[in-house]
Amino acid sequence: MGYDNYQCMDANGIREDGRKADEMRPVEIVCGVIPVADGSARIKWGKNEAIAAVYGPMEAHPRKIQRQDRAILDVRYNMAPFSTTDRIRPGFNRRSREIGKVTRDALESVVDLELYPRSKIRVEIEIICAEAGTRCCGITAASVALADAGIPMSDMVVSVAAGKCNGIVLMDLNKPEDNYGEADLPMGILPMTDEIVFLQMDGDLSMEEFKQCWDYNVKAAHDVHAIMVEALRTRYGGDV
Amino acid sequence: MAIPIIPSLLRESLAEMASTEERIDGRSRYEGRNLEIEVDCLANAEGSCRVRMGDTIVLAGVKFQLMTPYPDRPTEGGLMTSAEVRPVCGPNWEAGPPSEESIELGRVVDRGIRESGCINTTELCILPGEKAWQVIIDLFAISDDGNMFDAFALAAIAALRTATVPAERFDVGEDYRLPVKGTPIMCSYHKVGGRFVFDANKREELGGDERIHITLGDEGHVHSLQKGLRGVFTATEFDEIMDQAQSRCAELREIVHNLEESL
Repeated sequence: MGYDNYQCMDANGIREDGRKADEMRPVEIVCGVIPVADGSARIKWGKNEAIAAVYGPMEAHPRKIQRQDRAILDVRYNMAPFSTTDRIRPGFNRRSREIGKVTRDALESVVDLELYPRSKIRVEIEIICAEAGTRCCGITAASVALADAGIPMSDMVVSVAAGKCNGIVLMDLNKPEDNYGEADLPMGILPMTDEIVFLQMDGDLSMEEFKQCWDYNVKAAHDVHAIMVEALRTRYGGDV
Repeated sequence: MAIPIIPSLLRESLAEMASTEERIDGRSRYEGRNLEIEVDCLANAEGSCRVRMGDTIVLAGVKFQLMTPYPDRPTEGGLMTSAEVRPVCGPNWEAGPPSEESIELGRVVDRGIRESGCINTTELCILPGEKAWQVIIDLFAISDDGNMFDAFALAAIAALRTATVPAERFDVGEDYRLPVKGTPIMCSYHKVGGRFVFDANKREELGGDERIHITLGDEGHVHSLQKGLRGVFTATEFDEIMDQAQSRCAELREIVHNLEESL
């Protein structure tokens, strides 16, 4: 299977893993998987598996990192050494640092930080098993973990990605589609307002293709949101 | 790990409980917490295990890499155990370079496995002087509620014993089950309220003193020992926990073997 002859879709419009163009991989979310954390969630998304833990609000130290008017979010994204086919050496990693930062930027847009001046809320995202699309898994899991920790938020960030492979716009690229594909557009969407708090893209999309990816993402975000709400309802019952 | 402020009240109440042979969570002195163990749970690892002991949860993943044998041992592959305790697993673990605690965890687990001889590094050689397998066991903590040593050691040996060498992916033959001779098992005892207890939880660790880790092989042979933290113990105390470790290790070994048969 070379780069040039990878075919992501058969004659009937079915992808290698049995999905249609606009279909997502199966998503499963469970809350409260880390007993010692203040909030936690595990997400399985296709073969991806991520866990997120929230600790705090707690005192922010050293004092120079404190903000007098609000809490700070300390977000980390990391891939476990055994999460990929080739082992990842533990330690500093530019990709992980960037994903941690954009995740923080997304979550800071919804968390009511002004409620906790001079505090810190720790958000830890760990990728246990990776199959393309781990940043979306991480952001979505972190949102559920924050809700599980009882941190006030205006909405939960739902992160999904659409992209393009063999010139076809596809929802939620899997590993080969991502490797051989031409573009990927991950977004963080607030389902109550359809506002965007996280946006990245790389590759090559025409304006029509871009619009199609965007529409796929907004629709998928609502589907994933329902699963997030269900996970919280399973743990706490009632209306979430 | 940042050591949280330890309330002297916790130490006092642990000592009081010890005087009436009680433990903070109602267990008897040598009773372990509820144990759950699952193998083959990580799709991208060649061997994997998840262990839950009470509220302590850990993962172990085995990965293989090709290496050039060291010049002084041209017919041997490599075995490495590494513990990464990320701040996801508890409020007091911090980000940054590996802490002393996580290095000790990895090294003590590594010694137990290495010194038991369960992996014959010569069998890992593919082409003397040129190509050999390096087996890497990565230990990963999900939730730290105490006694991560035993959880890591159990996850490590179960993951190793169920690992498949991915020879096809590296173009060096067909995949095969990693040969592992023996099942070294670690049992840890913490001094809490003046006496040793088995499988301490986080509160017992925080309000306790020294700890002793014992790894025993199939014949009951000792393969690694480690005394950690501040405190003293006597030969009589050690004899007692060694007796306890002998029977507990045999039970745990049985559990690992049953797990393999169910695969």
